[in-house]
Amino acid sequence: MNRVLAFADRNRKEILRDPLSYIFCLAFPLAMLVVMTLVNASIPKESGMTVFRIDNLAVGIAVFGQTFVMLFTGLTVSKDRSGSFLVRMYATPMESSDFTLGYLLPMLIIALAQNLLIYLASLVISLITGPAINPLGLLVSLVTLIPSAVMFICIGLLFGTLFSEKAAPGLCSIIISLSSFVGCVWFDADHTGGVMLTICRVLPFYYCTRAGRSAIRLDFGMDTWVIPLLIVVLCAAALTAVSSLVFRSKMKADLS
Amino acid sequence: MNMIETRNLTRKYGDITAVNNLSLAIGEGELFALLGVNGAGKTTTIRMLSCLSKPSSGEAFVDGHSCSAESKAVKQVIGLSPQDTAVADHLTVRENLEFMAAVYGYDKAEVKQRTDRIIEEFHLGEVVNQRAQTLSGGWKRKLSIAMALISDPKVLFLDEPTLGLDVLARRELWREIEKLKGKMTIVLTTHYMEEAEHLSDRIAIMIAGRIAAVGTLEEILTKGGADNLEDAFVAIAEANTDDYAGGNV
Repeated sequence: MNRVLAFADRNRKEILRDPLSYIFCLAFPLAMLVVMTLVNASIPKESGMTVFRIDNLAVGIAVFGQTFVMLFTGLTVSKDRSGSFLVRMYATPMESSDFTLGYLLPMLIIALAQNLLIYLASLVISLITGPAINPLGLLVSLVTLIPSAVMFICIGLLFGTLFSEKAAPGLCSIIISLSSFVGCVWFDADHTGGVMLTICRVLPFYYCTRAGRSAIRLDFGMDTWVIPLLIVVLCAAALTAVSSLVFRSKMKADLS
Repeated sequence: MNMIETRNLTRKYGDITAVNNLSLAIGEGELFALLGVNGAGKTTTIRMLSCLSKPSSGEAFVDGHSCSAESKAVKQVIGLSPQDTAVADHLTVRENLEFMAAVYGYDKAEVKQRTDRIIEEFHLGEVVNQRAQTLSGGWKRKLSIAMALISDPKVLFLDEPTLGLDVLARRELWREIEKLKGKMTIVLTTHYMEEAEHLSDRIAIMIAGRIAAVGTLEEILTKGGADNLEDAFVAIAEANTDDYAGGNV
């Protein structure tokens, strides 16, 4: 466990000491939170559009923020692989599970801290603009979004392992755009219906925001919270297994 | 006692033979230089000895452990400073050293004690709180070697340790390497003649994946029929290149 913690600590420091990570993982999502709150103020109530209402927006921005943690995971892993840092580490007693856990743990902590700050900002905004968000709902939603964070981090780990330092961030950017769109961060698929809703329901991102938004309203219904959360948990577990196996097989190939 | 032994060690990449039937014995406490031009197979040899590559055929042993079958045991007794410095850029010098010590499983007190000792031994005090990304090439190399030494390895692999350094930084690093002589077995790859000449107990000249000559400086000079290593190297290389052409790099 010492090795995992040492490597996790190194990764945490590498990310938190890069100013770009604050711009992308914190400043940008918070800026979007404020901008979309202003957009929401301009939308007539009769339109029935609630996706930018602060309780919905908070969850959307939290999931959107997690995708940037995915980007930095992909960047860190691909950068380590492209240089000789991992070569040096391969010559130490570290094993593949030490590496994958060492990448996963600090990213999860960073994602949780990021989501907490986004939710605190949302709470303040909700007190100003109304309707006020229930702090207990925020806390439950924060926990509900943990599997979603794991899922995004594992996508970053997978891309960072499989692709180069140049390709991995590009592919992560595609996932950022795709997940924020079909994850219903910027529009309400349930009101749109049709093919768009079908596409959203095929991918796991929709269920991340759906479970988080239900949790913030303390709505623990089977369709609204339990099943979406279960889908995200299963996807996160599958991606954790796949990314760990892929890292292990790449490491094996590197050492062959 | 031999600390490193290779028996017909061979590594092929497709049709290319990077290391060809290498049989070597390196004694405990010896500083052994692998001297050769780019592509001679020096780094591939180091990679196989440090369990980073598997041989296509043949065997390598470090401290009596097989590099193929007992890589865990080998990794516990070696330290590696790769050709690129391979340090964590956003970590300070101290943090890099503490990180490496923790990777070897030492407790907090041991990590601190080892880090303090290596900082003192390598005179890293003036840059100890500086992030690695801000260090000059010479300091980075020193840090890289210090990181490889944090676990008190029995065998230290230095892959082109002074590549790209200016003459002053190179001499400074030579002094640090000289201090290590006799304390552990050191395998150093280089294509700088004066480096091999200055530091090594024995030198092996690698040409196209094979050992063309091995021995003390005097033995190499005699074999090359020259009075300096560069002339001896050229003579040995020219005599062997034709022999090796065809199957090798």
